[in-house]
Amino acid sequence: MKSKRSFTEELLSQQLLEIGACTQCGECLKHCPVQDVTGNPSVSPPEKIRMFREFIRATDGLKSRLFGSGDVDRKLLDNFTRAVYECTTCGACGQSCPVGIFTQRLWPVLRKEMVKRGLGPIGVQANMPKAIMDSGNPYDKSPTERYHPWFPGHVKIAERSEIAYYAGCTGAYEAQPMVRGDVLVLDAIGAPFTMLPPEEEVCCGFPLFITGQHDQLKDLVTGLVKGYEARGVKLLVCSCPCCVNIMTRDWPLFYGEPLPFKIRHITQYVSDAIRDGRLRLIKELREAVIYHDPCYLTRGVGVIEEPRTVLRSIPGLTLLEFEHHGLNSRCCGSGGAARKIFHENAIAIGRLTIDEAVAKKADRLILSCPACYAKVNEAMQGHKNQIRITDIMELVSTIIEGDR
Amino acid sequence: MGKILILAAYAVYTAFWIRFFSHLLVWWRAARRSIESVSVAAPSSVKAYILTVMDVVFFGRLLMVNPALWLGEWIFHFSFFLVVLRHLRFFLNPVPPCIWWVQTPGLIAGYILPVSLVYILIVRLLFGRERYASPANVFLLGLVLVISSVGVAMQLLFKPNLVEVKLFVLGILSFMPAATPESVLFAVHFCLVLILIPFLPTHIFFAPFVMMEARKREQALRLVMHEK
Repeated sequence: MKSKRSFTEELLSQQLLEIGACTQCGECLKHCPVQDVTGNPSVSPPEKIRMFREFIRATDGLKSRLFGSGDVDRKLLDNFTRAVYECTTCGACGQSCPVGIFTQRLWPVLRKEMVKRGLGPIGVQANMPKAIMDSGNPYDKSPTERYHPWFPGHVKIAERSEIAYYAGCTGAYEAQPMVRGDVLVLDAIGAPFTMLPPEEEVCCGFPLFITGQHDQLKDLVTGLVKGYEARGVKLLVCSCPCCVNIMTRDWPLFYGEPLPFKIRHITQYVSDAIRDGRLRLIKELREAVIYHDPCYLTRGVGVIEEPRTVLRSIPGLTLLEFEHHGLNSRCCGSGGAARKIFHENAIAIGRLTIDEAVAKKADRLILSCPACYAKVNEAMQGHKNQIRITDIMELVSTIIEGDR
Repeated sequence: MGKILILAAYAVYTAFWIRFFSHLLVWWRAARRSIESVSVAAPSSVKAYILTVMDVVFFGRLLMVNPALWLGEWIFHFSFFLVVLRHLRFFLNPVPPCIWWVQTPGLIAGYILPVSLVYILIVRLLFGRERYASPANVFLLGLVLVISSVGVAMQLLFKPNLVEVKLFVLGILSFMPAATPESVLFAVHFCLVLILIPFLPTHIFFAPFVMMEARKREQALRLVMHEK
């Protein structure tokens, strides 16, 4: 396959250095969740980088400069496309990289290059732009169903407020106990908060960003930012790590200037409220719970302590840790939109999380990501090990409800 | 034979610099084109620089993830560095005092080098925990193992005439080629080094910059969603 387009078009100069810096040592394979369940090195991080180096050589190497772009092996391109989309983009490989390559940001850029070449995305991921265009969410669900099924009837949403809550598509459609818990806890804190109307609270752009489909991102982000700005928002609270990640890292770039409000993960907002005495957790919960760190919350934006602060504030609760936690956490299998295509991988990875939680003798597995929540619950269906799965705010909301 | 070796040396030397500048050109073009789309700037700090130096000199990141491999890799790279320094006596005239000082450590490193390579290969290929071995990496390690073993054989068993060696190397550098030393082992050693140079991994050039950025990024991670 001949191509005049350089394979470095989408790469930052730093990412080009990263591709050159990979020592192919293979340390990352021990930390890769896809390797854990497939054992297939051909879809591993160093192999992806090796293949991409070959592509760069074909379009930018000295030979191509002198004699024109060479052939890029179509089979290699297909192999690479599959490998880069089978990845959950959890970034554990980068965290364990002896050189320090920021893979959580590198893989989506390589996916974008494949999209530009018409090779990506794969499977149902390709339907997302149209679904988002038509319905505002990647699940192609009706906006009228976005809040209605789960929103607590007694909670009032302010027309304007300095605080806003963004539920997110996955939470609203696939992890409703989670977003219901968010709203109940926000209400219990007492500060008025606003939300965009369901038809205006569209996708944050993360599913498009992570699959390399960037065309709609500027419009989506601009619409959302303007919507919150018009409501006088100074602080946007969200519980989805993927949404929070793109909001903090990429929204300013797509919006074209710094955001007119701050972004906070809900555990940050709630831990502040607990510290300031605005939220009191009095009801006891005599349970040993294990908390799973979402990849995009820890390695993505560095929110590690606050969820633990919230959990430790619950009287009687014992907090257990996974062997790999914090910055070294293991993916639950649902990341990178890979769960939509490589369903079996996602289920198998999710079951590893369940198995470890059960082995640690936890009474409950606490999650704080809607994608993890949906997929790990799905992974437990028909699995030999069973554990109660609860979102962190769902848990806090039951403590609060008990106080009333 | 001598003329072929000399021509090969010039070809390899030229190819090395073409490859180097070709990489530089690709990077420069990407750097010019790319909008530095990083909304969370990674600030420089003394701590980041210190940690980077630790990473580059002591392979700190590898130590954290695989101490067994770290031991072999660090000893290998440090030995390789000392051996290269020791060999500079053939390339420089007069030989600076610092190169004379490193002769004994370089000699010891020359014995350690192949041992460390065997250790690395054992850790990487025979330990069940390792899941991946890049063919290019294994080839390079094997090549360096043969080169260093031939070097040890020349030191212990079949010493070439070092004056001839130095005249040969200086002749190449000054474009006034001298006669090739009459040592088969030297010819093998020299040929294998010529093969090694085009296969030198690019991470040698790029890794320090990436390590620096990684440390800065780690320092900045806390700033993404937490105010100072």
